[in-house]
Amino acid sequence: MASERMPRRGLLISAGVLVAVLASVSRLDLVTAFAEGSDSLGELLGFLRRFAAPDTSPAFLAKVGQGAIETLAISLIGTLLAVIGGVLLALPASGRLGRPGQAAARFCLNLLRSVPELVWATLTVLAAGLGPFAGTLALALHTTGVLGRLYAEALENAPAAPEAALRGAGSGAVAAFLYGTLPAVSPQWVAYGLYRWEMNIRMAAILGFVGAGGLGAQLYYALSLFQEAQAATLIVAMLGLSLVVDAISGWLRRHLVVA
Amino acid sequence: MISLAALGVAYADGRRALDGVDLSIAPGERVALIGPSGAGKTTLLRVIGASLRPTAGHVRVDGVDPWALSGRALQSLRARIGKMHQAPPIPPRQRVVTAVLAGRLGQWPLWRAMASLVYPLDIAGARAALEPLGLTERLFDRCDQLSGGQLQRIALARLLYQQPKLVLADEPVSALDPALARSVAVALNDDARRRGVTLIASLHAVDLALSEFARVIGLRDGRVAFDRPAAQVGQAEVDALYAGAPVGDAAEAAEPAPRTRLTRCA
Repeated sequence: MASERMPRRGLLISAGVLVAVLASVSRLDLVTAFAEGSDSLGELLGFLRRFAAPDTSPAFLAKVGQGAIETLAISLIGTLLAVIGGVLLALPASGRLGRPGQAAARFCLNLLRSVPELVWATLTVLAAGLGPFAGTLALALHTTGVLGRLYAEALENAPAAPEAALRGAGSGAVAAFLYGTLPAVSPQWVAYGLYRWEMNIRMAAILGFVGAGGLGAQLYYALSLFQEAQAATLIVAMLGLSLVVDAISGWLRRHLVVA
Repeated sequence: MISLAALGVAYADGRRALDGVDLSIAPGERVALIGPSGAGKTTLLRVIGASLRPTAGHVRVDGVDPWALSGRALQSLRARIGKMHQAPPIPPRQRVVTAVLAGRLGQWPLWRAMASLVYPLDIAGARAALEPLGLTERLFDRCDQLSGGQLQRIALARLLYQQPKLVLADEPVSALDPALARSVAVALNDDARRRGVTLIASLHAVDLALSEFARVIGLRDGRVAFDRPAAQVGQAEVDALYAGAPVGDAAEAAEPAPRTRLTRCA
């Protein structure tokens, strides 16, 4: 039977969003903050003005370059380790090694994924000491959880016939997987890996704040000492780095995945 | 080569796919299996191919009982059996050369299989397998650039490259147009005749079965209805075999079970 009334869902959602916005504004005292804020606004502008002249002395730029390379390395190695770990966990997680293996692998993936990178980083800094190794490990741990789950889903959705046919013709399990199923899942695996790399370059820059090396550590240092000019240089460097990585990743995706 | 005695296959729901089948096939014979959909052709081929364990009776393939073998010996027996399927089980993104070379995965050690994935190790062998099928110029194309008929011929090239002692083809030509179907059936028979290997193919096209194969076995309701040289099969027998059976696509829809099982485990 067709409904004769206009559905009210849209109306209810709009009202709900409006109530949530009003409640948040009043909770955060945004109105009074703006009303009293003429001088704090000036303060804010003054603060921003100090960022307008980045530090471009060659010595500092060299240091920033080192930090950028370190951040790039953290994100790259962290993501690569995660791709390897993700594949190793996705195989049992898609049910290839029986039910107990599947349950164990899924539990590992959920655990790795549900702890955010920053929390992993505070833990790895405690375990492995300050520096880029802790950041790499933190990125690898969280990203393994994310990629492993996506990889397992791709495996479960891949057609089973090609691998089964190779097994039926006497092929070993590993070879049958490589020739029968890998071609179906590898484009997705590569695309997911590149996408996570783009996210991880940004995350690698932030991880420095908890002592895990790279540009983030330098930015944290500069901000703590109110060296706005150097902080500005570092922020520009982070932006540039993530743009470069986005471009490389996009190019790779076009050439490896679509082609 | 193959002997089956009182062979029976019952599925978990109690339905009998095969019931009391006695068959003996000598090395070098070329046999066509015909019969309506659901007669048990696919199941019989899967039992002979050591992919499906019968629930009753005895099966011997190449002189051994597949289900008495160790895992490794069963794998090596399967490597000597070549199979063709109605839908070519080839990943769309794979290159033709790799898809053909996959035919020898059962004979290659793992390191060789992996190395060949990086760069094809036997391009000449793959080209030689494609040559009689007229597809050498597609050697480095990706399989998703091929038509259905070309893809089925790639699957045939993989089989030729495998050089099995026993060839099992499960409706290899059902999805092809009549001219192509005949050429594939002829290629299968030529290869079997030239190398002196055994060929068993299930076919919907009765005319192909009678004209290209030496021996024809009619299956109906999981039992052997007749089994004789192609020249001695009469029209009346064929009509009786298909009598009362639904025709064409309706038949496919009515009995989907054997085919879905094939894609899962064959």
